[in-house]
Amino acid sequence: MPRTPPPLRLRDLAVTSPGGRALLTLPKLAIAPGTATVIRGPSGAGKSTLLMALAGLIRPARGEIRWGETDLAALPEPAIARFRRETLGFVFQDHMLFEELSAAENASLAALYAPKAARAGLAARSEALLTRLGLGARGARRVDSFSGGERQRIAVARALATDPPILLADEPTASLDRANADRLVADLMSLARDGGKTVIAVSHDPALIAAADRVLHIEDGALRPESARV
Amino acid sequence: MFNALWHSLPLWAQDGAIALALLAPALLQAPLILRGYRLGPLLRGLLRRHAGLSLVFILLIATSVAIGAAITAQERALRQGSARAADKFDLIVAAPGSEITAMLAAVYLQPSALPLIDGETFAEIAATEQVALAAPIAFGDSWQGAPIVGSTAEFVTHLAETLAEGRLFESTEEAVVGAGVPLEIGARFTPAHGHGVADAAEAHDVAYEVVGRMPRTGSPWDKALIVPVEAVWGVHGLADGHGPDWDGTLGPPFDPSRFPGTPAVLIRASSLWANYALQRAFTTERTMAFFPGNVLSRLHAIMGDLRQILSVVALLTQVLVTAAVLAGLMMLTRLLARRLALLRALGAPRRFIFALTWSFAGSLILAGTALGLLLGLIAARILSGMITARTDVLVTAHLGWPELHLVAGFVSLTLSLALIPAALTIRRPVIADLRL
Repeated sequence: MPRTPPPLRLRDLAVTSPGGRALLTLPKLAIAPGTATVIRGPSGAGKSTLLMALAGLIRPARGEIRWGETDLAALPEPAIARFRRETLGFVFQDHMLFEELSAAENASLAALYAPKAARAGLAARSEALLTRLGLGARGARRVDSFSGGERQRIAVARALATDPPILLADEPTASLDRANADRLVADLMSLARDGGKTVIAVSHDPALIAAADRVLHIEDGALRPESARV
Repeated sequence: MFNALWHSLPLWAQDGAIALALLAPALLQAPLILRGYRLGPLLRGLLRRHAGLSLVFILLIATSVAIGAAITAQERALRQGSARAADKFDLIVAAPGSEITAMLAAVYLQPSALPLIDGETFAEIAATEQVALAAPIAFGDSWQGAPIVGSTAEFVTHLAETLAEGRLFESTEEAVVGAGVPLEIGARFTPAHGHGVADAAEAHDVAYEVVGRMPRTGSPWDKALIVPVEAVWGVHGLADGHGPDWDGTLGPPFDPSRFPGTPAVLIRASSLWANYALQRAFTTERTMAFFPGNVLSRLHAIMGDLRQILSVVALLTQVLVTAAVLAGLMMLTRLLARRLALLRALGAPRRFIFALTWSFAGSLILAGTALGLLLGLIAARILSGMITARTDVLVTAHLGWPELHLVAGFVSLTLSLALIPAALTIRRPVIADLRL
């Protein structure tokens, strides 16, 4: 039974560099559960900073990052880690897989630190995801034998193996050719829609933008008016 | 109460308890750190990925452990070997002088010039009530570097118990040889004066026939050629130790007036307790009596200081290597930083990251320690072989409790130190490490 994603509400959010320079300022933002949102903007605008803040990887200087009733900005580090592990899936730009492990071991990475009772289910789910993504037959092979597009699909399987209600992606198609990018977008959106997940992705990929419910434009660390389809 | 309980335990139990106590920090840490996680696949992957560097660490640790284990195992083997070689020499009587020199000459057949015990003194010793065996040990000649020792058939029987082949000598032209002498029964050899490989000019004008061979004793006597003491006196142009009407029967009783002298006498007492009385009785102005075992103990005590110094050297080596390993682990955690940051970004608990880093270090430490024990044993065996070849004292090294204690302490110390890089790892900035 898919878990219902919590709504996201940001209020008075400010992220600064260690030197105190303002990186991101968002007075207010809400994202509805189960929707797909793409964040775009020029390089250095603060897109990835926002994504990392939404994952609790960057602690804001002030403000709230509320996923439902949980304010990530107010949680201690262990609780944020637990939130990430139980609620979020993350896809990185350059897949960031463990090259020395097999595709199946990468996809079920969370099983290594999951409670014993959850491991079998997690492994089964990651295997099913690999099969759905067309890689099931090669799960035992090391990931360095896979192409770039295939590796990114393994990363998607890893992100969704815990069945998180929220999926965050940072430029997931940036290192792929068009054909692989299209396939990844199709797979990603299909899996997210089927599970009723909230998707928030930083991307300039037209296919991903076209598939999104909403597009946010960030420039100079602030949200700009942009087309929105909700 | 504790002392009484401790001393009531058998030695193996005490050693086992010490080993457990030394290992306790590691044994307590491991389950606390590793519980609940399945680290195997990731750990194997990281070790494969950093195989070269891991191997360097393992070899570094192995070398340190091997040095420590080899030093202690070798020192113990040397002590046991030298003590075993002196087993048959209960009490030695010699002219006053250095007990160590006399022991080295009489027991370990090391060349040295000892003053002689005269015939009257020997006769008094042999006639003492509690003396079961008084055998002269006369040396000075050699064959191809192997010592020729003059004594009695009773001495050969005392030393060898049963001959491996042949029989005891029955005439002054016959010899019984040690197990390591390359002469067959029936072979003849000509003695040379002094030690070392003599040239023809130094050779005596006699020849002995080998009639018997002793079993291996693991002592320098395996290389010795034993001939009747009368023969040694004879080849040096001295009296034969017997009266003018001697019928040629070898061995005691000797005629004190025709006894040319002997550097040492082996005494076997009729009973164990009598040894001490005999030692007192033969410690006079003309003779000194000593137990080779006691002299060895004193030597070992001196060596014990050396052993402690060597142990400190070994420990210092290990401390230095441990520090190097610790510094290396710090660097290694930087190499792992991006992967560990990725795990944290994916939500892995901090304790998992801690456990992974610690077990990575622990794997290197344990592998290095196991390899080090093996290398230490091999090194000690090679050294033992070299010492045996040089001294003919059978030295056999094996790993024992002292080495296990050393290793247990080392493992606990290094695993405890590995907590430091593991703790530092989880304090690293995730975002900065992801961008490495």
